[in-house]
Amino acid sequence: MDAAVPVKNTRLRKPLLARLAPYLLIAPTFVIIFLFTLKPTVGAIHDSLFRPARLAQDPSVYVGLENYFDLFDPMHHIGGRFGRVLGNTILFGIFTVAIGVPLALMFAMLLNRRLRVMGFWRFSFVYPSLLPVIGAASIWAFIFADQVGLAAAVLRMLGWEDVNWLGNPNLVLWAIIIINVWSQTGYYMLFFLAGLQGIPRDLYEAADLDGASARQQFVYLTLPLLRRTTLFVLTIGFAFAFQTVDQLQALTDGGPGDRSNLILYFIYQNIGERRNWGYVNAMTILLAVLVLIVTVANFAFFERGGREHDR
Amino acid sequence: MTAKPTLGSRLVSLFTLVIAGIWLTPLIFTLLMSVRPPAEAITQGGLFFGSTITLENYVNAWNIAPWPRHYLSSIIFVVGTLVVQWVTVTMAGYAFARMKFAGRNILLILLLMQLMIPPGVLLVQNFATVRDLGLFDTHWAMMLPYWGSAFGTLLLRQTFREIPIDLEEAARIDGANWFQLMRRIYIPLALPAYVAFSLVSISSHWNEFLWPLVVTQSENVRPLTVALSRLIRTADQGSMYSLLMAGTVLVVAPLSILFILFQRRFVESFASSGIK
Repeated sequence: MDAAVPVKNTRLRKPLLARLAPYLLIAPTFVIIFLFTLKPTVGAIHDSLFRPARLAQDPSVYVGLENYFDLFDPMHHIGGRFGRVLGNTILFGIFTVAIGVPLALMFAMLLNRRLRVMGFWRFSFVYPSLLPVIGAASIWAFIFADQVGLAAAVLRMLGWEDVNWLGNPNLVLWAIIIINVWSQTGYYMLFFLAGLQGIPRDLYEAADLDGASARQQFVYLTLPLLRRTTLFVLTIGFAFAFQTVDQLQALTDGGPGDRSNLILYFIYQNIGERRNWGYVNAMTILLAVLVLIVTVANFAFFERGGREHDR
Repeated sequence: MTAKPTLGSRLVSLFTLVIAGIWLTPLIFTLLMSVRPPAEAITQGGLFFGSTITLENYVNAWNIAPWPRHYLSSIIFVVGTLVVQWVTVTMAGYAFARMKFAGRNILLILLLMQLMIPPGVLLVQNFATVRDLGLFDTHWAMMLPYWGSAFGTLLLRQTFREIPIDLEEAARIDGANWFQLMRRIYIPLALPAYVAFSLVSISSHWNEFLWPLVVTQSENVRPLTVALSRLIRTADQGSMYSLLMAGTVLVVAPLSILFILFQRRFVESFASSGIK
């Protein structure tokens, strides 16, 4: 403004509005991020260290990590169930991913050839992932229905005894895994297809000239080049599996006897009881940590994975 | 490539057909069940067809719940979310792509938090927030958490950065203001990114279940997915699976048709997003 002000400072003399502009532009987004991501994260950590008082108007009591210890105490009314629920969640994640991801790679390799009516093939594999999970659950409610369901009818037709998939404690988690694999595999396949299409053809031609067998080409060429895609699919597979709820609400209520219960559904079941507020928040933090572990791994590959797919 | 197919490649094709058949089976039986007479379970008579083909189940399914309201509710949820997202991600995407400001990197990291801890995980706290805001059982409650999208912001930031800065400078010299800049240059050139983001947003919210279930109570507000989950429970108790399959078709049809029409676009959008 004055002649005394050094020239380099004129940059700071931009009109106030221009200086505020970037903050105004990001403000709406950050109001939402603050309200629904940052505040609840801090809130859940805070509330997980407290226990609600007996009377609603009294202040909560600070209990340190006691809620977390209780969750792992088999004699406790929540902890007695939580161990099984956490175990189920981890098993569910591992099996969904261990079955779904190799299948997805196989589907991608089957479709990565010159095929007529490509749209049909793609639709066949991808449509389940486009249905609402609740729609998929509804379809499988009929397939797994006791005695009158499709699976039972087919088993009887083959002369075998039919089983009650959703009522049998040893089968129910597998039934949910089957539904998940069926509904997610096509989605994972899309990433593998994009990855496969990013591999230059001449690499395979060179390998052919060198006399490499199809198996060798797969092990030494395809797999290493798909490493990033695979890691990416693995991590989103785990992240989705850890948040599975819809099928349970529709089909099993987590039963029988918590045999199909998973952590987010268990949280949902206890959301209404005020006395469990501390536990519900402690479980939220444990779930967030589970998801965070896999998504942080995901992020390490996200940038590169994204570029691979753009090609 | 046009050489005679070998035995091996024929076997692979056959194998593909078998697998595709397995994957399509649930869909085929859903359609078949939905046109069977309600009283004929698949244990009686043929596995594939009943004694006649009927649309009775669709009529019954349509009458069992206030579907038009649920459709309207789902549409309000999806459209109301998307339209606001278009505005917020454009603004934030531009700021992060083209402006320098103090704290930008820290704010970017805070933005990433939303991708690292999905809102679904924070169900309990977010439910309390919505209740405290007095929004419980409203469409606002369903939409509000999605009005800021880290994924959309990052996608547009990336896209905007690839647009040559010369275009912006030339337009500024011509006296264009920010809105004209967005309307004439950035938005038209980033259109494919908007399409990709919109498809991902539409399909994820059309299919969303747990959040609407938790923050709504009345039939007027609940979307299709929540209505369908109630139908599953009713049908399960009465073994009314024909009815349930017809109801399922009613719910999944709109998005499936959209997918068939825009298949290639959908596939590319999902493959580039990594988010459902």
